[in-house]
Amino acid sequence: MKAFKVVPVLLLLIYTAASITRWPTHTICKNNNLEVKYRSCDPLQDLALGVDSCSYVPGIVINIRIATILRYTINELSVDISLILNGQTIPIYAKQLCEQNHPEFQFCGKKKGEYIYYEGPVSLNMEGIPQGEFNISAQLFNENRNTVVCADFFIRNR
Amino acid sequence: MPGKCVVFSPACITFSLAMLFELNLKTRSLNPCLEVIPGHSYRCMELNLTRVPSGIPNTAQTLDLSFNPLKILFSNYFSSLFALRFLDLTRCHLWKIEDHAFWGLNNLSVLILTGNPLQILEPKAFHNLPSLQRLIAVEANFSPLESLPIGHLTSLQELNFSHNDIDSLKLPVYFSCLIFLQHLSFQLNRITSISVGDLDALSSQNLTLVLSRNDIKYIELNAFAGVHLQQLFLRACFENSSIMQASIQNMSGLHVNSLVLGDYRNIRRLESFNKNLLDGLCNLHLQEITLIEIKSLQTGSSFSSCINNISMVRVVHTFISEAAYFPTNSNIDQLEFKDCQWKKVPAEKLSSLKKLKVIRITHNKYLRGFEVYFTGLLNLEVLDISVNSLITHLSWVHLLEGAPNLKHLNLSFNSEIHLKIECSGPAKLEYLDLQHTRLYLPGTVPSFLCLNNLIYLDISYTGTNVIAECSFCGLDNLRVLKMSGNFFANNQLVDNFRNLTKLQFLDISNCQLTYISLSSLASLHELRLLNVSHNKLLGLHPETYMHIPVLTTLDLHNNQLAALMEEDLKNLPGSLKYLDLSENLFDCSCSHVSFLQWAKNSSTLLQNVKNMVCHSPVDLKNVQVLDFDLASCKISTATVVISVSAVLVLIIILILGYKYYFYLYYMMVLFIGHRLSDEKVTAYDAFVIFSSKDQEWVKQELQEPLEEELPYFRLCLFYRDFIPGVSIITNIIKEGFQTSRKVIAVVSSHFLESRWCNFELEVAQSWQLVESKASLILVVLEGVDKTVLHRKLGLFRYLRRNTFLMWKDRDFSRHVFLRQLRSALLEGKTWTEEELRLVLKK
Repeated sequence: MKAFKVVPVLLLLIYTAASITRWPTHTICKNNNLEVKYRSCDPLQDLALGVDSCSYVPGIVINIRIATILRYTINELSVDISLILNGQTIPIYAKQLCEQNHPEFQFCGKKKGEYIYYEGPVSLNMEGIPQGEFNISAQLFNENRNTVVCADFFIRNR
Repeated sequence: MPGKCVVFSPACITFSLAMLFELNLKTRSLNPCLEVIPGHSYRCMELNLTRVPSGIPNTAQTLDLSFNPLKILFSNYFSSLFALRFLDLTRCHLWKIEDHAFWGLNNLSVLILTGNPLQILEPKAFHNLPSLQRLIAVEANFSPLESLPIGHLTSLQELNFSHNDIDSLKLPVYFSCLIFLQHLSFQLNRITSISVGDLDALSSQNLTLVLSRNDIKYIELNAFAGVHLQQLFLRACFENSSIMQASIQNMSGLHVNSLVLGDYRNIRRLESFNKNLLDGLCNLHLQEITLIEIKSLQTGSSFSSCINNISMVRVVHTFISEAAYFPTNSNIDQLEFKDCQWKKVPAEKLSSLKKLKVIRITHNKYLRGFEVYFTGLLNLEVLDISVNSLITHLSWVHLLEGAPNLKHLNLSFNSEIHLKIECSGPAKLEYLDLQHTRLYLPGTVPSFLCLNNLIYLDISYTGTNVIAECSFCGLDNLRVLKMSGNFFANNQLVDNFRNLTKLQFLDISNCQLTYISLSSLASLHELRLLNVSHNKLLGLHPETYMHIPVLTTLDLHNNQLAALMEEDLKNLPGSLKYLDLSENLFDCSCSHVSFLQWAKNSSTLLQNVKNMVCHSPVDLKNVQVLDFDLASCKISTATVVISVSAVLVLIIILILGYKYYFYLYYMMVLFIGHRLSDEKVTAYDAFVIFSSKDQEWVKQELQEPLEEELPYFRLCLFYRDFIPGVSIITNIIKEGFQTSRKVIAVVSSHFLESRWCNFELEVAQSWQLVESKASLILVVLEGVDKTVLHRKLGLFRYLRRNTFLMWKDRDFSRHVFLRQLRSALLEGKTWTEEELRLVLKK
């Protein structure tokens, strides 16, 4: 079962040439209630992303797996998450993940060209996922505001 | 061929142009890279290149060839790019670097080989790199250090072998040559043990060694003995506490300035960190220890006494139970807790560390206040409690009682602080940072009354509303005041800064100011920098500048200035070096031409000129002020000149027209009127022109003999036939010339003097020309002065060319004269029936 999850993640790592501007949409979770798809919005590369559970229970951390090859060094890394509503971007969460001097995570300080694989918990701090369909954009960028990871999520919750 | 070329020269030109175009196209295609700085810096990332593009000039210093499938670096691969200083070969699929691949790169200082599956490095692969300072070979498949041909790179300062397959820290002998080495990273390799002698080859004592994320099972006793390091990173190296304890015990004899121990947030291997674990530190010579990302620090009754001799202790991202006690009699002088989940400032426990000079307690999300104030910390100079959630009433008296020598206090980025007015004698505090913390009372009361030695005060974005005039009383030595993002009563700056006579730096940006009074800045004679950006100012009072004579920087950007007036420009201090006027509402009309001209001449003084754009007039909106065409204002002055002169010419024409009205009228009649003359009934035989002074003569000698004797003639005489109420000229033309067959001019000395007569004579002459018949009969009276006739040249000429009648006062000659005149008048006369009947009757 585990291999079944890891193989597509690794396959996605084989990045395609930069001439492709629109990356394919991947489904990371689909059941009767919840459907989550994503597409890389980084013009340079696609992204491999997976979760270990397709149901959301408030208070329980979700383990995610994310893999990519860095196009930029990340001495500092920040994340912006925003809700896309009618073409407008509404910021909902922002945090600095890596600081220069005393980084918390092992991937902090990685160099351009290095391969990153992160498997670990992510706490959403949400009571629950709202009902309906909505789009969320997540962007990770470095100290020079170069996009390190960019993904648009399509979430449908019945 | 040249002959042919001459013959077909147009074809030749076209051909050569085409060749040129193609050549240009070719050179472009040769250099597909992004020119970051022309001739200097080129970025060829991810372009599917298999070799160095030939279009890169040999002056290039920075070249990024990352993510291209170069595969093999042959000898002399970069020989033409001898100026290179920075070469990035990240993920170039390199598996082989041949001898002298970097030949010619004598200036290269940074070489990046990250992410290449290097298999073959020929022995002279890195030769000819005498200036190389940084070699980054992360994830480059490097294995044994001995086989790396880098021993001759004696300029190296940084070697980064992170994420490789190196399994031993045994440094080869060549490391003794790398005397400038400062940073050596073996992060994420396969080093499992460190033995005696592994680090013997290290010659530099200023080295930072990174061993994090190696799974170290064993460190031999004295493996680090006698080794001097600047910094040693050992994060996520030990599988469990016992291995770590044993390893630290065996690291005895190491001299290291700064040791970093701990895990990562997502790699937590050590369950807890207890007193025994740190006991091993007693045998190390440390200046500074950082404990990071440890799940919890269980200190039991107290911290290990082994940290007593370490001057700086830093705990980061680690939970510390509130029951912890710190050792007494310690030599710790700097203590930092960052993100340690404190709920209150542990002032009571820290008060036992009497030698403390610096305390930093930051990034604690749940830290709300002080449990008590510090006591007896006589050496404390720096207290940093920033980026927490403090909600507290700060008592200057209590704080400074326990730490009387406090010089530097940072309470920025907290929730809410009430500052009481309290005073227990002058405080030594020099630096106070309260930015982005909601403050209560400053602005309404003099909260800083006792801080006479304060040099630096930052209360930016604290929601302070400055109402009281004495808000800053007591701050007599203040040099720097930053208070952007606050409010002033009525959005006006009045006399709040009167006592700040030593102020050098003042930031009152973003305070919604609409007005700054002249007196408010008048006492700030030492002001060097003034930032009033992001307000709603229409300008500063021109005399303000005269009160701040040493100002070097003035930031007025994002206000509502239309222009600087001439008085402002005149008063600007001579010391001014930086002036930012961008994002204002500039009026680029010609009324501000002196400002616009000044702006053009002051491009070195003005900052951020790209954002200095016109707001009005509408057609110039968003045009850069420096691009404003001053000539457009000059053209408008030219149009003013032209229109004024046109008006003048018109006036002159009107005056002339008024003066020469009858000449014009006469010309008009000549050109238009004569066509109508044919239709007019000829009513008179002759129109007599004469001077009114000769009226008697005309009556006797012309009217009587011609009108009352046979044959009868009808004369037109102005005193009898002119219609009253019509202008003289109209009468002359219409009644005189147009209705008469002949014109008799009675030339006497009076005639020659009269302007009217001369005019009539000229009309008569022209009439004669136009009608082309000799209708003018000149009668020259006796006694006309020949010289006057000469002077009236026109008449004289006329007389010379035409026959004329002389009248003399003698019977015979009078008879001859009348005879001649009658025959002249008879010529062309048509008789009406009535006239014939009259003649026959007689």
